[in-house]
Amino acid sequence: MKKFLNDFKYLTHVIFHPFDGFYEVRFRGMGNYALVAIIFLLSGLLNVVAYQYTGFIMNNNPLYGMNSVTTFIFGLFPYLLFAISNWSMTAIFEGSGKFLDILTVLAYALFPKLITDLVVIIFSNVVTAEEAMILTAIQMIGLVWFCFLVFSGLCVIHEYGAGRNLAMIVATFVAAIVIIFLATLYVTLVEKALTFFTDFATEFARR
Amino acid sequence: MKKRIITFVLALAFSLILFVQAVPVMAEHTKDASYIYDFWGNANQSLSAFQLATVIDGNSMGDGLDLSSVKDVFVYNNEEIYIVDSVAGRVNIFDTEFNFLSSIRIIRNEEGKIVVSEETNKQMLLSSPEGVYVTDECIYIADTGNDRVLVLERDTHALVREITKPATMVGDSLFKPSKIAVDHSGRIFIVVQNSTEGIIELNSDGSFSRYYGVNSPTVNLLDYFWRSIASDEQKETMAKVYAPAFSNLHVDHEGFVYAVTLDTASKEMVFRFNSNGENVLRKFGYSEQLGDLPAPMDDSFAMSTFTDVAVNDFGVYAILDTVKNRVFVYNFDGNLLSIFGGAGSTKGTFSNPTSIAWMGNDLIIGDENLSSAFVFKTTDFGDLILAAEEKYYTGDFEAAAMLYQDAVDMNANYDHAYVSIGKNLLMQDDYEQSMYYFRLGNDKTYYSTAFMGYRNLIIQKYFIVFAVVVLAFIWWVISGEIKYNKQQRKLEEL
Repeated sequence: MKKFLNDFKYLTHVIFHPFDGFYEVRFRGMGNYALVAIIFLLSGLLNVVAYQYTGFIMNNNPLYGMNSVTTFIFGLFPYLLFAISNWSMTAIFEGSGKFLDILTVLAYALFPKLITDLVVIIFSNVVTAEEAMILTAIQMIGLVWFCFLVFSGLCVIHEYGAGRNLAMIVATFVAAIVIIFLATLYVTLVEKALTFFTDFATEFARR
Repeated sequence: MKKRIITFVLALAFSLILFVQAVPVMAEHTKDASYIYDFWGNANQSLSAFQLATVIDGNSMGDGLDLSSVKDVFVYNNEEIYIVDSVAGRVNIFDTEFNFLSSIRIIRNEEGKIVVSEETNKQMLLSSPEGVYVTDECIYIADTGNDRVLVLERDTHALVREITKPATMVGDSLFKPSKIAVDHSGRIFIVVQNSTEGIIELNSDGSFSRYYGVNSPTVNLLDYFWRSIASDEQKETMAKVYAPAFSNLHVDHEGFVYAVTLDTASKEMVFRFNSNGENVLRKFGYSEQLGDLPAPMDDSFAMSTFTDVAVNDFGVYAILDTVKNRVFVYNFDGNLLSIFGGAGSTKGTFSNPTSIAWMGNDLIIGDENLSSAFVFKTTDFGDLILAAEEKYYTGDFEAAAMLYQDAVDMNANYDHAYVSIGKNLLMQDDYEQSMYYFRLGNDKTYYSTAFMGYRNLIIQKYFIVFAVVVLAFIWWVISGEIKYNKQQRKLEEL
């Protein structure tokens, strides 16, 4: 428990000093996988909360069609996809980060975004349409912060230079598209095969 | 024993309720199920606002005459109905009880003699006319087959003048007047079908003034890309993008020209032109005035195309769609009020609708294939919503809000009424109630205004609490500073 608290304290250091911080996390054992899991869980939950409890003025979601489980899963799915495709690309191109390291970077980078999102959700209930712009700005700050932390974190854990890292991130997005394409293909084919067998079975049973 | 019997009867009664089927909402006297689009673009059940009352067809005509097709319907001042029969080459006139009054086919002059053309030495006849417009003095007939507009006196039907292609007319458009409208100052607006240059505007003396109204096509991004890299020779072989043509027009009581188009490549489908020819149609509804909205995952969806528009005195306009043969009724602000009609050959549906016109609160819809004009009267719900729009348009917001409330009581899916009720409550500074209604009507802008008022009230009420919190915060900052300074000074002294 004490280690957990210590690591959490270190997380608050990492988000302000990403290069040093992620180095310590990656190579000196200052990271904490329990913390990673909790942050991802909270992020997914916050997605669900944001869907319903963002104030009416800023909420563009059709509440009548809300599904907490899908919102939760689709909130976390992009991170998992990014981690998988980044890992599969960097593993080929001499990146030294492990899969869990990439997840750690993503989770640690999510922490400030978690806080700004929470602030936005709370204050969106007490603002008018004109003041909503301030909250959008806060949201943007969280997003930019997140992107910067991911970028610097990936630099550190893969031991890449900035240019190489940028190229790898672009490659990651391409890989993500390929993964989605293959997944869709697989699902469609399996579905076709299954329909064939069920059709065959029904045909056989009715003879 | 008696108690047991009562229990048994009650149980039986309640169990019977289980077998009662849910009945879809319907207006009185009609079995049409209507629908309306909400904020999210979902088609929700709604009440029918219009129902078929009377049919004007060959049987309504005078002896020996028949109605062969209905190309245009015009209602003059809620007194006379003009129906253009392009096959028979007639303009038939009915009174408001749908009794046949007279018919124009052979043109006569003031002395009652048949006009004979000097060049061809033939009688002056209408040849497949497609449009008619009536002012207090004159009847304007778009005599399409003869490429001219005939102006007749309204009382005697005597020829006043004949407007042929003006000598000064520029552009590639043929002078084949199809639809016609005249504003208060006598300017004549003419729609030529498939003309890409706009509406032809003539001065009251029949001389050419200008092309009126701009209609811009949407440009496909992919086409734009190919065009940008194509050579000049290649460009010549490519299909040209033309400005979409207008199909019909109507002048409202303020002199604005409403127009519609059949071309789905057009950026907008309904237009309200000011005197500069700019589209000033108000678009404050949940969606743009596009008729049917695409349902998600609907591959067979086709955009509505419009063949006629009718505007009444309080800005409610109906547009006639030719894809699903439906009528869409919008109010002045662009809120969808009602949808009715449909394709088919049953009562209340159309085969090839060509024209629509208001007569009071009734709508008259002409059908070319069925050779009849259908008169739709309002249902109780329709009466209510039109009355509400009239009150709202004339600025009687309180009466309008009451009527909107009645409408909502009848039809909870009539969403834009919630916003109107909310606006009225907002004007009375009833912030909390108006917020409730804006939320129901999904209007974020007005909700924000109401919320600002509500928030101010809260802050005023709990001013002490807010003041204490703010003061405490300031004190915390200042005292922190003082403490810090003291510490620094101590450190310096050491």
